[in-house]
Amino acid sequence: MFHWLEERPFFFAVGVFVVIAFAGLIEILPNFAQASRPIEGLKPYSVLEIAGKEVYKKDNCIACHSQLIRPFKSETDRYGMYSLSGEYAYDRPFLWGSKRTGPDLHRVGNYRTTDWHENHMWEPTSVVPNSIMPAYKHMFSNIADIETAYAEALTVKNVFNVPYDQDINGDGNVDVALGSWEDARAQALKEAEAIAADMKNQDVKDAVARGEIPEIVAIIAYMNRLK
Amino acid sequence: MKNIVIVAIAIGVILMGLTYSYVGDIIGDDIVNIITILAALVILVLAIGVSLKYVNQMKNDTASGELADENWDGIGEYKNELPIGWALSFLGTMVWAAWYWTMGYPVWAYSQIGEWNEEVKAHKAEYEAQWADASQSDLKNMGKSVFLVQCAPCHGYTGDGLDGKAADLTQRMSKESILYTIQNGGHNFKSTYPGGMPANMATGESAEQIAEYVASGMQGAQPAGYAVCAGCHGPDGKGIPGVGPNIVAFDNATMAAILKDGKKGNIGTMPSFDGRLTPVQVKALTTYINSIQM
Amino acid sequence: MQNNAALEYDYTIAKMFVFSTILFGIVGMVIGTLIAAQLAFPELNYLLGEYGTFSRLRPLHTNGVIFGFTLSGIWATWYYVGQRVLKVSMAESPFLMAIGKLHFWLYMLVMVLAVVTLLMGITASKEYAQLEWPLDLLVVVVWVLWGLSIFGLIGIRREKTLYISMWYYIATFLGIAMLYLFNNMAIPTQLVTGYGSWLHSVSMYAGTNDALVQWWYGHNAVAFGFTVPIIAMIYYFLPKESGQAVYSYKLSLLSFWGLMFVYLWAGGHHLIYSTVPDWMQSMGSVFSVVLILPSWGSAINMLLTMKGEWNQLTENPLIKFMVLASTFYMLSTLEGPIQSIKSVNAIAHFTDWIPGHVHDGVLGWVVFMIMAAIFHMAPRLFNKELYSKSLVEKQFWLQTTGIVLYFSSMWIAGITQGMMWRAVDEYGNLAYSFIDTVTVLHPYYTIRAVGGLLYLIGFFMFAYNIYKTFASGKEVDGSTLQNKTPMSA
Ligand code: HEC
Ligand code: HEC
Ligand code: HEC
Ligand code: HEM
Ligand code: HEM
Ligand SMILES: [Ca+2]
Ligand SMILES: [Ca+2]
Ligand SMILES: [Cu+2]
Repeated sequence: MFHWLEERPFFFAVGVFVVIAFAGLIEILPNFAQASRPIEGLKPYSVLEIAGKEVYKKDNCIACHSQLIRPFKSETDRYGMYSLSGEYAYDRPFLWGSKRTGPDLHRVGNYRTTDWHENHMWEPTSVVPNSIMPAYKHMFSNIADIETAYAEALTVKNVFNVPYDQDINGDGNVDVALGSWEDARAQALKEAEAIAADMKNQDVKDAVARGEIPEIVAIIAYMNRLK
Repeated sequence: MKNIVIVAIAIGVILMGLTYSYVGDIIGDDIVNIITILAALVILVLAIGVSLKYVNQMKNDTASGELADENWDGIGEYKNELPIGWALSFLGTMVWAAWYWTMGYPVWAYSQIGEWNEEVKAHKAEYEAQWADASQSDLKNMGKSVFLVQCAPCHGYTGDGLDGKAADLTQRMSKESILYTIQNGGHNFKSTYPGGMPANMATGESAEQIAEYVASGMQGAQPAGYAVCAGCHGPDGKGIPGVGPNIVAFDNATMAAILKDGKKGNIGTMPSFDGRLTPVQVKALTTYINSIQM
Repeated sequence: MQNNAALEYDYTIAKMFVFSTILFGIVGMVIGTLIAAQLAFPELNYLLGEYGTFSRLRPLHTNGVIFGFTLSGIWATWYYVGQRVLKVSMAESPFLMAIGKLHFWLYMLVMVLAVVTLLMGITASKEYAQLEWPLDLLVVVVWVLWGLSIFGLIGIRREKTLYISMWYYIATFLGIAMLYLFNNMAIPTQLVTGYGSWLHSVSMYAGTNDALVQWWYGHNAVAFGFTVPIIAMIYYFLPKESGQAVYSYKLSLLSFWGLMFVYLWAGGHHLIYSTVPDWMQSMGSVFSVVLILPSWGSAINMLLTMKGEWNQLTENPLIKFMVLASTFYMLSTLEGPIQSIKSVNAIAHFTDWIPGHVHDGVLGWVVFMIMAAIFHMAPRLFNKELYSKSLVEKQFWLQTTGIVLYFSSMWIAGITQGMMWRAVDEYGNLAYSFIDTVTVLHPYYTIRAVGGLLYLIGFFMFAYNIYKTFASGKEVDGSTLQNKTPMSA
């Protein structure tokens, strides 16, 4: 039979394809509906947080940092509660990472703060002597792309029904407002102002006062959101 | 051949030896550590052993068997049978797979979260009981290790606050921080001191004097202005439960309050550790921080 | 031997891909050595401003060596081996020649765009699938062109039965096509909303689902990029170079279909102790261990092909490269499965032991095999004698030392790091702060960088040797080479 296939490339190729396609169907599909369900009360990312996530992607922090706390006592002691599938329901793409050259960041918002990140991203060794993490000084001058972040939020709202402009926790108020581009920009700027107020770098404060949001502000918003 | 055997085995031994010299004393009775070391050994022994077996065949056997009729660009093919060791090992891995699937980590029974629950529950019960009346020196050592893991990234290894980036814990509070509180009041420790502290309890020269006095650990003559403060922090500054925290020293109640709610002050923001530290650990941290006070 | 003496194979396209193999090999490995050094000496992060940090450069390294070097190598050998085992010349079909050229140039365009976008930080952020959607579309076109080339050549073949190498090339084509398409499904946000950058897209899958699809892809990208096509090479070049017949058809057969069937199930081993269901993780562990044997089947088949040929091994450095490649292949396909066992993965995952495992495979197996293939092809492509055999010999030992340094340092580093993360003190609290587990690795990061440098120097020796062969090697009559080894030429 195999020899028969080896003389008939078309059937050979079909055979190979069937054998390799099979596993994907059985292994991946059954869990799809289950794993896309958010945990109760999960809020989508604000536009500023998405912009921060884009900075995280752009500077590729995933090269060194995971966002997945495994259910071991040693990890829950160090980073906090183990991660749950439903917490990632709005993560596109998922950013679990595969390497921990640096620590896990899935709940870093619980135990690090704006001012600490400001010091750390400017010069990691100023807070953690011997750190091998690169300094990201350019984030203090590069301006974050809020419009693309808005486009992403609007896309997931429209295509995947991510609950923007909705009351999620049932208290009668909208939890994460998106609205029009103008609304969203104003909201992002408001969040940025709150963060810049806790920072010391004057150029960053000035930029935010001008209505521009430096990347560092966006990434801190994202870091603080990771809880 | 002999050289290859020697080099390969030497590399294997050096590798295991060096690995062991690094981790030997932390393997302990952690089953995961033990399995990993065994796994490393298996990788080395099997990889080296099997390669040497084939090296041996390359040296000593000769090719034989019936050639197939076909031939591609001059490449022929023998019709030899499967090597028996290979075929048996293949079956062996399938048997192992069935074991893993049904007995090692039974599909219908094993849960990683369940495993975590057991591990943590067992630890908690033991830990809290064992250290309920820990000695001062145990508390201090324990506090130091918790401090180095959880607090040092902000406060520095020595607790000195890294040049003003976080509070300097080798003293209770700096004059600037106290002044800041006097001017701005505070409502950080909501759970422990729900009333908070009003702003502008003292101003100008008087505020300066008070701050100076408190920062010095309440040494020397008490400025008159301190009377306002005494109402909440006590005449000796050691605090009044539920009303105001101890402002001359880090006692356990103050530490617990800080660690529960965190704090935003003139230096920056201190995160809350609510739920991340046990009462014993908080006590240990208090003891340790008191031990580094100047 | 057979009646193909009259057939003039056309190696134009093969030569082009040999060139890009060497080019991307250099680029990828220079960056690899740089990022290895950055972890030991962080000041090296600031050579190129924003564009020179470890994190920006890492995807350049992985994409450079995978999509640049390895793919070029696969195609260089395809455009050489394909003609020969199908007994048909590219020259016979102007159509296939045109497809081949288009294939090469479009691919070069994709690679240039890939380098530029990755440096700029334009990335979808999924490992080995960083390229944004417009580039994905180009990749699909490149892939289709290769498919046309494969099936076009098969369509006009004279050799009725497909040789083993052909099975593996076909599988590579199909496997990557399926995986790449599904994993890169994304929605361009500007097309949907009219706002923001047109390059940006958002993944079709979220969270755990995205992880499942990604590692189904990621694991099998290894399968169909670093394993299957490299086996295609060794099945051709080792028997050809040594003049020995393949040891066992049955073993070839069982290994091939076993590999095809088992590989796809093993992706779960990248997600152990994650939030995917326990049964899927176990499936990953179980199939990974079963996978040892189909993997070893090919390696053993090749080692047994060399039965009794020890003298070739000592005399011909190309054979050395290929035999050591099978051995490293066995090492990494034993190490990987063992790292897939839950308790071992609890330590190994997230540590440097994984890059250690990766580079056993890629440096020892993938690169060794591709270089050996090019060494074998070069004299036949250029009708020149290989420039220096003794340089090949030196390169072999230098690079082997490099690999040993790389993998032994990362092995120790990984196990140390993994155990330190778990370690508790006498009170039951964590014993080490995170930075303790970083500083302890400094010596190992340094050793790895040195190992990488040795390997890189070896690669430059290879490039130089091929360049000299082409530029100033002694002319030989191509036809006499057809069935000879370059070493005897
Ligand atoms: C070369 C590896 C590397 C890269 C790239 C890297 N980091 Fe780090 N990171 C580390 C290391 C090592 C540490 C631990 C030492 C320290 O705190 O500096 C760390 C620590 C951190 C911490 C503190 C976490 C904690 O629990 O203490 C944060 C937050 C962080 N990094 C964010 C980032 C962000 C955001 C990026 C990308 C823009 C990034 N890192 C890129 C290596 C890296
Ligand atoms: C009405 C009661 C009240 C009075 C009067 C008062 N405090 Fe306080 N004080 C508090 C409370 C409550 C807190 C805790 C504030 C918080 O939750 O942030 C506090 C906090 C402080 C702190 C900060 C302690 C820390 O660890 O952050 C300082 C310093 C301090 N008080 C000094 C003074 C001084 C000096 C005066 C007099 C000028 C004064 N307080 C008057 C109630 C009072
Ligand atoms: C993310 C950084 C960060 C971490 C982690 C951190 N701290 Fe702090 N901590 C601060 C900052 C900033 C302040 C100063 C707040 C201010 O007064 O402005 C502070 C203040 C304090 C104070 C003084 C509060 C007062 O009364 O003024 C204590 C005590 C303290 N920290 C203890 C700890 C302990 C114990 C830990 C670990 C369990 C810890 N901190 C972890 C940042 C941190
Ligand atoms: C000179 C040779 C090389 C050196 C010094 C080198 C170095 C490195 C370094 C330092 C990393 C990052 C590891 C980390 O994040 O901790 C890495 C990752 C990687 N390299 Fe290399 N590399 C080399 C050659 C290659 C080659 C030739 C290939 C493939 C053909 C390759 C494939 C990879 C892959 C796939 C990764 C990602 C591993 C992972 O995510 O775990 N490397 N390399
Ligand atoms: C039987 C075959 C193999 C198995 C079962 C296997 C298993 C594994 C496992 C368990 C991991 C680590 C996952 C993690 O914990 O993060 C891994 C990672 C990896 N392996 Fe293998 N491996 C095999 C063969 C190979 C070979 C031959 C190569 C390359 C030539 C290779 C390349 C890689 C790469 C590149 C990664 C890193 C993926 C990442 O970015 O995290 N593997 N493999
Ligand atoms: Ca609400
Ligand atoms: Ca893509
Ligand atoms: Cu894998």
